[in-house]
Amino acid sequence: MNPDAGKHLRSRSEIGKPASPPVLPLPYPMVLIRVQYPLLDMKPTWFCDADGGGCHPVAPVPAVLAERAEELGSSGMAGLPDWELAVACGFAEDRLQYLAVLHETALLIAESRLQRALEADSPELIRMVKMLEEIDSAVNHLSERAVDWYRAVNPAFSRKSMVPPGRKVRDLLRDGSCEALQDILDAIDQLSERRSALAKQVSSKAAAVLPNCSALAGGLVAARIATEAGGVRELARMPASAIQVLGAKNALFTHLSRGTPPPKHGVIYQNSAVHGSRRERRGSVARVLAAKLAIAARIDYFRGVSDPAFIARAKEAIRGAGRIR
Amino acid sequence: MIWIGDQLVSPGPGGVYGERMIQGCRLWSPARSKLAALYHLGGGVELTANHRVLYLGAANGTTVSHVADYVEVVYAVEPAPLPMQDLLVVARQRKNIIPIMGDARLPEAYLSLVEKVDLIYQDVAQPNQAEIAALNSKYFLENDGHLMLSIKSRSIDTVASPKKVFKDEVKKLEGDFGVEFEVLQRKELDPFHEDHLGVLARMFVDEEED
Repeated sequence: MNPDAGKHLRSRSEIGKPASPPVLPLPYPMVLIRVQYPLLDMKPTWFCDADGGGCHPVAPVPAVLAERAEELGSSGMAGLPDWELAVACGFAEDRLQYLAVLHETALLIAESRLQRALEADSPELIRMVKMLEEIDSAVNHLSERAVDWYRAVNPAFSRKSMVPPGRKVRDLLRDGSCEALQDILDAIDQLSERRSALAKQVSSKAAAVLPNCSALAGGLVAARIATEAGGVRELARMPASAIQVLGAKNALFTHLSRGTPPPKHGVIYQNSAVHGSRRERRGSVARVLAAKLAIAARIDYFRGVSDPAFIARAKEAIRGAGRIR
Repeated sequence: MIWIGDQLVSPGPGGVYGERMIQGCRLWSPARSKLAALYHLGGGVELTANHRVLYLGAANGTTVSHVADYVEVVYAVEPAPLPMQDLLVVARQRKNIIPIMGDARLPEAYLSLVEKVDLIYQDVAQPNQAEIAALNSKYFLENDGHLMLSIKSRSIDTVASPKKVFKDEVKKLEGDFGVEFEVLQRKELDPFHEDHLGVLARMFVDEEED
């Protein structure tokens, strides 16, 4: 018998854990039936290999162990680790040392999983979109405040008919009547320019991360639905019906709780195929676009490259949905 | 658990997330931590230096750091990358936190690292919280081990009344998944956390052989 096995046997019985009857094929000698840990059935763990009835500890080098644990985990072969076994087979001197090596190993594994997740999910795209939305709302708020300020010194000014949309409003306020306001208007203009630049960057980032979604919905819309979904991975797992109403949270929950009509579209309304189509077709276009985006998101996440044949077919289907029959 | 006046604290080096220190101990605020809220409401199990804990839904490691102050080792499971970055910083300072990047719905992914534990604490915002708890208990919980569960009703059903959701979820826990639990305590975490229920349960083990 393996000397290690005997040592192991003793240490287990000293602990006095309840015996679980080992499942052993005959013809093993009867004495083995009393073994408390089913050694011969033992699965490999992150710290030791088991074969031929003994266990062979792996060198306690975290980098080696981390790689081994990952391989074991994905193979589905791993057994639940037991520190007493680790001590018995000489991997660690005591529980303290076992935990210390485990700690180092787990850190390495977590770091490499984190690295991989950051590469696959590209959280940067989502952060860029959130920044873009924040800048949008900041520019709007600041512009409104600027108009308020201007009104205070120009009693004849009415925001009812005189406030044009977008940045033109800020040019209107630059008539020199309110000097302190000028610098602030410049700052808002600058921020607004940064916003345009960032929007372009989001588009090109989306084209790289979500090539198929971007081709169907445009880079900005693709990036926004990924953000609403909570990430590229989450978007790939989402059903088309959910993608269709991403960004229409309030309408959706009012529908669910109070039975109002369900929303036809969320963020994807911003795509010209949806908002450009006739009112009565919009729901259909949104539905088809969402269905194709759901497929595109999966290609993007799992394959990561553009699929021109799919894009052509999908675009045709979206066009078809907008046609009046 | 250590109380200073009516404040729950944990013993350990401070400065993990800017927490207040009271007489050299770290204030464990019930407003921030659902587990602290459960203790403030008189629930929970007494954490001791012998405890081995599996913590599902570790997030940024705020509550994890307090649990680690009390127990021997915490296996902290968190799936999301950005919270994981914070958790790793905490785990590098506290040697008894074993960080695991994985999804609590798929325990196979961390089966190779986590040993049997005495206590599972779960705080995940998923629609099938009871099922996740049962699945992990099946793998990792010692016989007679405890499960502490923070159930967020809004993650299960946004529309239904929280009371009904809690009732259904506890019922599911008690016997839907091939592991049986004896529910020892159930406390709504009002006013600290809205629409949350803290549950303490013991895994129920059949007395077979012997």
